[in-house]
This record gives sequence, C-alpha cells and structure tokens, in this order.
Amino acid sequence: MNVLPTLDGGLCILPESDADWHELELICSDVGRPAHLAESLADLMDSDSEWEQYVVPELEENFNSQCRYVAAAIEHARDHNEHGVFITPAQAEKWYGAINQARLSLEARYQLDTLENTIEDALGEVNDLEPELRSAYFRNRFYLFLQSMMLDYVMDAP
Amino acid sequence: MPAPNPTTRKKPKLKPKTQTDVPWNVVVLDDPVNLQAYVTMVFKRVFGYPQQRAETLMMEVHTQGRSIVWTGGREKAEFYVQQLHGWQLQTKMEKSS
Repeated sequence: MNVLPTLDGGLCILPESDADWHELELICSDVGRPAHLAESLADLMDSDSEWEQYVVPELEENFNSQCRYVAAAIEHARDHNEHGVFITPAQAEKWYGAINQARLSLEARYQLDTLENTIEDALGEVNDLEPELRSAYFRNRFYLFLQSMMLDYVMDAP
Repeated sequence: MPAPNPTTRKKPKLKPKTQTDVPWNVVVLDDPVNLQAYVTMVFKRVFGYPQQRAETLMMEVHTQGRSIVWTGGREKAEFYVQQLHGWQLQTKMEKSS
C-alpha cells in the first residue's frame, strides 16, 4: 500500500492487493460502536449538564457519519475498480475522525500504548504476540501513519 | 455530517443556574491516542489561539496530564467542551478556584 500527497493538497491511498483493500475496510470495523465514544466523553461531564440528553446524540451522529462516509468512499473506489482512494482537503476531517475513532477503540481494547512502550525497537517481540494482538498493533501503526500524513500534507499544512 | 463546526453546533439546553458568575475552566486531559500536532491544530481551530499558545497548552496536556485551555462563563465553557468532544479530545469542566 502506498500513500501519496496529491497536487490538489489531498492524499491518495493506493492499495496494491485485496489484503490492502481489506485493511482499509477494517478502519470502520475497528471503530465498533461510535456511540461508545460519545458516551465515554459524556462520562467526563457532571449529570447536571444534561450532556447525555442534549449533546451525546449529536456527537453520536457526527461520529457515525464519519464512519459511514469512509466506508462508502472505500466501497465506491473498490467497486468501481479505481486505482486508489482519494482524500481531498474537504474530506480529510471525516477521514481523520473515523481513523481516530478506530485508534481510540483499539487502544481501549488492547492498551496498545502500554504495549508500544514495552516493545519499542524490538520487532522480534511484536512477532511473538498473539495473532489478534499483533494484527491490532500493526493496524494501529498503519492508522497512525495515515493520520500523520493527513496532518502533515492536508489538514494543518503550512 | 462534517467535522465539528462552530457555526452549526448547538449549545446544550441547560437548566437555569443560580451561580452564573462563577468562572468555569475547560480542562483537556491527556490520552495515548490523539497526536500532538492534532491537539495543537484543534486548539487553534476551536479557540483561535496562535500556534505558539496552542503548542504550549498541548505540551501542558502532554507533560502534566491536563491543561486549562479556557476559563469563562458556564454556557460558553459548555460550548467549547462540546466542540472539543466533537474533535474526540478528553475534555471536562470544573469550577475555577
């Protein structure tokens, strides 16, 4: 899989195999239930704020729509045999948001940050992980790379 | 729906408050997922802070685990928290001491 900045200030993801396409499709699978993020953020507020009633539904819809958008963009590109998935500057926030949800969800499930600190610079140890955890580790690294590219070339470019 | 947009997001409807003059802090908490450059960008977009101030606050979050990023009236504070939640940052409110 290659990821390249485009001349119009966006990003192009170029999957090279079915496995690469599948990896992109896993973004939205990894998110799980977007409502969970909205609810966990609401837990930070006191009940007096009525956050659950007035804010959570809007946040949930916002997070859901990010996932729907990304899933549809990947599906459309794959079904139409397009060479890659293009992310324009106008679409970047939706993509970033969906990928961020996936990373937050992976972190909640696997505590990858703690894992990363213990296996840094020791790829051999990564290969010794259970397959499910190892897969989550590499997906998280891929999502992190995509986010960094978006920040560097699209969302906060000088 | 697009990412959080200050012109379209609704303020929460609140119960009448009796202590409207107490300032409230908007507090952003550290988390292991959100990237430093992203947090800086969000502070610039939500509050209109210049790059240096946004970076200083981001580093405070990163090194101290939390940062008071804004202080003021309750309704405005809730508005900012709602925005920051939309950007998926761990954010809460607390009364200013």
